[in-house]
Amino acid sequence: MNVFLIAASALLLALVPCGIVIMRAPAIDGVVALELGGALTTLALLCLAEGYRRGIYFGVALISAALVWVGGLVYVRLLGRGP
Amino acid sequence: MTPRDLIVDVLLGLGVGAEIVCCLGVLAMRNAYDRLHYAAAGTTLGPLLIGAAVLVRESVSSAGIETIVAVAFLFLLGPVLTHATARAAVLLDRGTLAASAAEREAGS
Repeated sequence: MNVFLIAASALLLALVPCGIVIMRAPAIDGVVALELGGALTTLALLCLAEGYRRGIYFGVALISAALVWVGGLVYVRLLGRGP
Repeated sequence: MTPRDLIVDVLLGLGVGAEIVCCLGVLAMRNAYDRLHYAAAGTTLGPLLIGAAVLVRESVSSAGIETIVAVAFLFLLGPVLTHATARAAVLLDRGTLAASAAEREAGS
């Protein structure tokens, strides 16, 4: 197990506080935690790609970065409309 | 352990540490505006440090370029998302984006 795999594990563990906020806080706070969780997931994917030394896995992190941003905007747009 | 490995370890440790602090900040804060500060930091500082660690190890290869693009996505577009989220939070709180009379007075 190299240092990048350890970093990826730590980043995945850091998703737990975000999950707690998503489950327990109001919706807009949950979206904030979801945005941070998306960034964490992207970074964990980068670390996993480097840890396993597979160049093709970096594409997954790249797509994740793009989709997390688009998904965040969709949620924000939906919530901004109000009930 | 070579100096290059040491640099990678330090950058990675700092990056992961920054992300964990941001997560704990999001958990500890009490409202969306305070939480946004930590979430915004989580899309700037941590990605830069972790991206730098990957680049030191990979240098400019196909994987390195994909890392640069992914980190640039987080770093440059993260603030846009933060701004949009804050705007939605204000709309939910007040129902309008217009400043209140007290805020207008304080601003002038």
